[in-house]
Amino acid sequence: MALFGGARDVSMFRGISRELMWDVIVQECALYKFRLEETNVNIYGEAAEEKYYEAPMLLNTLIDRQDQSTPNSDLGIDFAGGRTFKFLRDDLAGVEANGSGKIGVVVPEVGDIIWYENGYYEIYNLINNQLFVGKDPNYPNQDDNNYNPYGNSDLANFGYDVSIIAETHYVPADRVGISEERLISSIKHVK
Amino acid sequence: MAVIPIYPGSSSFFPGDTPFGFYDNQIDFQVDADKVVTYVSRRLGYPIMDVELQDLNFYAAFEDAVTTYGNELYAYKVRENYLSIEGSPTASNLNHELITPNFASVVRYTEQYGEEAGTGGTTTWYTGSVPVTAGQQDYDLKTWASESLGLDNKDFIEVKRIFYEATPAIVKFFDPYAGTGTGMVNMMDTFGWGNYSPAINFVMMPLSFDMQKIQAIEMSDQVRRSQYSFELINNNLRIFPIPQRSGSMHIQYIKLSERNNPISKYPEGQYNVTNVSNVNYCNPDYCEINSIGRSWIFDYTLAVCKEILGYIRGKYTQVPIPGAETTLNQSDLLTAATSEKEALVTRLREYFDETSRSNLLAVKAAEAESLQKIEAAVPYPIYIG
Repeated sequence: MALFGGARDVSMFRGISRELMWDVIVQECALYKFRLEETNVNIYGEAAEEKYYEAPMLLNTLIDRQDQSTPNSDLGIDFAGGRTFKFLRDDLAGVEANGSGKIGVVVPEVGDIIWYENGYYEIYNLINNQLFVGKDPNYPNQDDNNYNPYGNSDLANFGYDVSIIAETHYVPADRVGISEERLISSIKHVK
Repeated sequence: MAVIPIYPGSSSFFPGDTPFGFYDNQIDFQVDADKVVTYVSRRLGYPIMDVELQDLNFYAAFEDAVTTYGNELYAYKVRENYLSIEGSPTASNLNHELITPNFASVVRYTEQYGEEAGTGGTTTWYTGSVPVTAGQQDYDLKTWASESLGLDNKDFIEVKRIFYEATPAIVKFFDPYAGTGTGMVNMMDTFGWGNYSPAINFVMMPLSFDMQKIQAIEMSDQVRRSQYSFELINNNLRIFPIPQRSGSMHIQYIKLSERNNPISKYPEGQYNVTNVSNVNYCNPDYCEINSIGRSWIFDYTLAVCKEILGYIRGKYTQVPIPGAETTLNQSDLLTAATSEKEALVTRLREYFDETSRSNLLAVKAAEAESLQKIEAAVPYPIYIG
């Protein structure tokens, strides 16, 4: 039986994080989920025509910003500047989209677009490796009868998968083809 | 995903919400409980910041504060009156009793001085009869005690008085052969009344004359005769003079086991105050605590809540947030809570001490002295007759 990192402790951590992210720091971004099934691809797996995205979901996040740069290339002066968006994993697990009453789980994936301060950032890497006390309660090592050979039948109540961190790079708006009027911001978190 | 709720901004007290329930049924406590929650939560930053406490934590702190206040109050009362309370029945609840100072404990302590002087105390003086054998000067009192008194092997006696004395001088007061030169016959002869009966005395003598005459007889016996005396060294009693005939010699003694027994005797079945822990003060009635006391309680509740919150926020030094860790203010909370609690208790004790009997009497005396000085400055009227 584990002793530290129980559900009560995690509940407080979640509260602290939400207080920081929602009420103190308050950095927001919108996530455009890529709709793979509606996007036509060529033989190389690239989008052959338009890309399709889900309606944006406004999320609270913590953002690391790299300095902008303007590298020269054969095409001229470019613009670069990556952003790292850190999401509280539990925030993504309870999202109600557009007042639909349907609460779902948002899973950022490589290729999704994040809109932040009128800029578009494409996710090129996801880090899901912040486990409190080194445990993820989603993996309690039990069979269907909650049996664990070491008697640790309550591992589902210990540990905390804290965050999903999305590393992105800047994408010019003309490449993603998302027009501003498509933005929807009526997303709310469910505590 | 377990969600443990924290203080939502309001609370509603019900009896049973405190750990001990000492005051749950007291109306004022019920009314104040939720007000205290509001007061403390706002002092801790709510609603600007979350307070990771539940109403039960606030209630526990509130109960703790009331109990601490009562403890300090009644501990002070015990300190103030313990000499008067010690030995009284424990059955009496003293919360609402006016304690009248008494000398019970003082007399109990001083009885022991009288006991050693043979005029009181709690140890019995026994009388014993030691057989005296003609021609034997030394007597082993330990042997006598073990054989005659049936003392326990571990017990001892302490001899208080030995009645081996000469005949009192007063017996010889009128003895014409006493050899003191102050016999009544001589005196009457001196005044020319020798032909009168010796039983008739026409001269009123001062008492000092009698005393000096008795002392003269004693001195004469001591110098000219075999004076009765004794030595008691260790267990051996040596008597002087060596007895010429057998008989008994009386002594008075105590048993050391009785003198060494510190346990006072009380009526059977009655429990008495024997130490500060069983002085019968109960938790205070919150409804009777005045605004001065309640204000202290509110502040102490705040300090206790800071302490609880500090422990909660400090269980883990670093709290994980997405992509980083943060440190909360547990250190500040615990430091503030400790110093505030200490300051509050110190302030309360000083306040109580200022109202102690000795301090109040000193203030009263100073006040009387000042009044006298002030009145002395008032001009005296001059009467012209």
